[in-house]
Amino acid sequence: MADGVKEQESIPVSKVQRAAKFISTGAKVGGNYVKHYAKKMVNPSLDKEELHQSNAQDIYSSLSELKGSALKVAQMMSMDKNLLPRAYQDKFTMAQYSAPPLSYPLVVKTFQRFFAKTPEQLFDTFSRAAVNAASIGQVHQATLEGKYLAVKIQYPGVADSVSSDLKLVRPFALRLLNMNEKELDHYMEEVEERLLEETDYLLEVRRSREISKACASIPNLVFPKYYSEFSSERIITMDWIFGKHIKEWMETKPSQGLRNQVGQALWDFYHFQVHELKQVHADPHPGNFIIQEDGRLGIIDFGCVKVIPEDFYQGYFALIKKELGMDEEELDRVFYALDFISDKDSPAEKSYFKQVFREMISLLGKPFHVDTFDFSDDSYFEQIFQLGDRISNDKMFKKSRQARGSRHGLYINRTYFGLYNLLNQLQAEVTTTKPDWLK
Amino acid sequence: METAPAKKTTKKDQRKLILEGFKNHVLEHGTEPASIFKFAQSLKLKEADFYTYFTSFKSIKSAIWTAIFEDTLADLHSQEVFAGYSAREKFLGFLFTWIEELKKSRSYLLVLYGDKGRAFRELPTDTKEFKKAFLEFSEEILAEGKESEEIASRPYVTEKYGEALWLQVMFVFGFWVDDKSPRFEKTDAAVEKSVNLAFDLMGKSALDTFLDFAKFLYQNK
Repeated sequence: MADGVKEQESIPVSKVQRAAKFISTGAKVGGNYVKHYAKKMVNPSLDKEELHQSNAQDIYSSLSELKGSALKVAQMMSMDKNLLPRAYQDKFTMAQYSAPPLSYPLVVKTFQRFFAKTPEQLFDTFSRAAVNAASIGQVHQATLEGKYLAVKIQYPGVADSVSSDLKLVRPFALRLLNMNEKELDHYMEEVEERLLEETDYLLEVRRSREISKACASIPNLVFPKYYSEFSSERIITMDWIFGKHIKEWMETKPSQGLRNQVGQALWDFYHFQVHELKQVHADPHPGNFIIQEDGRLGIIDFGCVKVIPEDFYQGYFALIKKELGMDEEELDRVFYALDFISDKDSPAEKSYFKQVFREMISLLGKPFHVDTFDFSDDSYFEQIFQLGDRISNDKMFKKSRQARGSRHGLYINRTYFGLYNLLNQLQAEVTTTKPDWLK
Repeated sequence: METAPAKKTTKKDQRKLILEGFKNHVLEHGTEPASIFKFAQSLKLKEADFYTYFTSFKSIKSAIWTAIFEDTLADLHSQEVFAGYSAREKFLGFLFTWIEELKKSRSYLLVLYGDKGRAFRELPTDTKEFKKAFLEFSEEILAEGKESEEIASRPYVTEKYGEALWLQVMFVFGFWVDDKSPRFEKTDAAVEKSVNLAFDLMGKSALDTFLDFAKFLYQNK
């Protein structure tokens, strides 16, 4: 990286431009590989370090141009500088694998490997082409004895490449986030753990069953049934859930009552998981929810589940209380426990960050401070974005080389951000229940 | 007359015995047998009998490659979906099945071809028969692809497609030999990606339109 980072001339504005930006990065990275292998042919001892460096450089220069947009929101929502993992997950792992679908012969091969039978032998019908792309695999539709099934198949080699992919982006992340290595690793471990779990389909089936069983009493929710006899490390078979994704459903102009019903079901689902199960479906991505004809909410894909440690839970939600009702000392203790501030901070930094986090928390905790909250209120979201913008442009924040926020916060923040977003899309007003001790 | 069928089976068995014996020797000793005499002796065969089936170790190795290929084809044709595949899928299906067959003899193949230099010297001759059979098989796939217009007909170039697919087979083999991922998943990915590339290149593309245009300009300048 001796030649430094090129000065940024303009920020790509439109979606098309942004997409083009990523494509050109992809092309450059591809070019780096070609160069690397060409050099390697001449000089076999060449190691991959140089390749990683040139990749990181290209990714870095492209991402830093995009900083103004989506990444910043993610950054602020996570209340710390951990935009990386999100950017990571969205741009590097998922996008990378969603590209070309598995060919049918490979699907057949995967089935033969795990069940010693072809899909046609197992099911009555099986769609030759994938009907949907999942994050790290693809979904086929099958029927068996009159029942419609969704069969998810994982791309080969994904599990294996998670760790090496994370390593590849590490140098760029270091520069982009202006963190030191130790602090970065603190978040990287968390991301790696989740991603690896996501590739473990047996674990996913087990968790899906546990959570759907525990949540069975929540009204207006639907969970698919999972079939162990047709599931393995790389294949998951479950009931096909008919219905529409939120966006399509909203186009049918559902009534306010129906929207509130779906929103409430969603809120209750998360409330129960966070406060009762202490483990949560940490991927509130619109693609993971399907609204049925009758207005019930179907939940699919339990790939990303975050288990919430007890001490983190206590500290995190104590902050959400309306009247913090704790003295400065107690607040300090919580901030320390959640890694928002540390002994490495100067007194000025400490007071600055405490004030910032307080402001953020009171804003993000708003839905918890009232009995019902109207998520269709766009001005609320506007406020959040503005605060995020202000903070991430603040010198104090930029200068600090500290990782802020507990690693557990990473996915919990992501979950709540996702949940708020979904509720906003639904334009729903929900009763924001909270556990007794938070009232 | 009565002994004829019995003799036939022993004849067949002996050929198989030699193939198996050779594989086992390679597996157990990590090298080829020192001489045909010694090898025949270890199988309790007369050296002269050996020559009725094979003339050298080279021909044994060649026969093992062809046997793997034939098993692959037999397996492929037993898969019902195979007949309905497109050309691209047929070739993918072939490679995936072939890799499964190779897996059964992985240790043997690693001993013989694990070393890059040696593989480079010996693979071309050892796989000569296999290549011949493969090219015939690939002709069918290519003809089908041309019919379905998956593959574009280009003068001169089209004749070389069979060779190109063969190179790909060798590439996959090389990749698989080095593959250390669990269940050889990386090889699966390599097969997918390389076959897609190959068929995209063989398919009608912007290049054809470009050449056509260039030709037009040249003729009309």
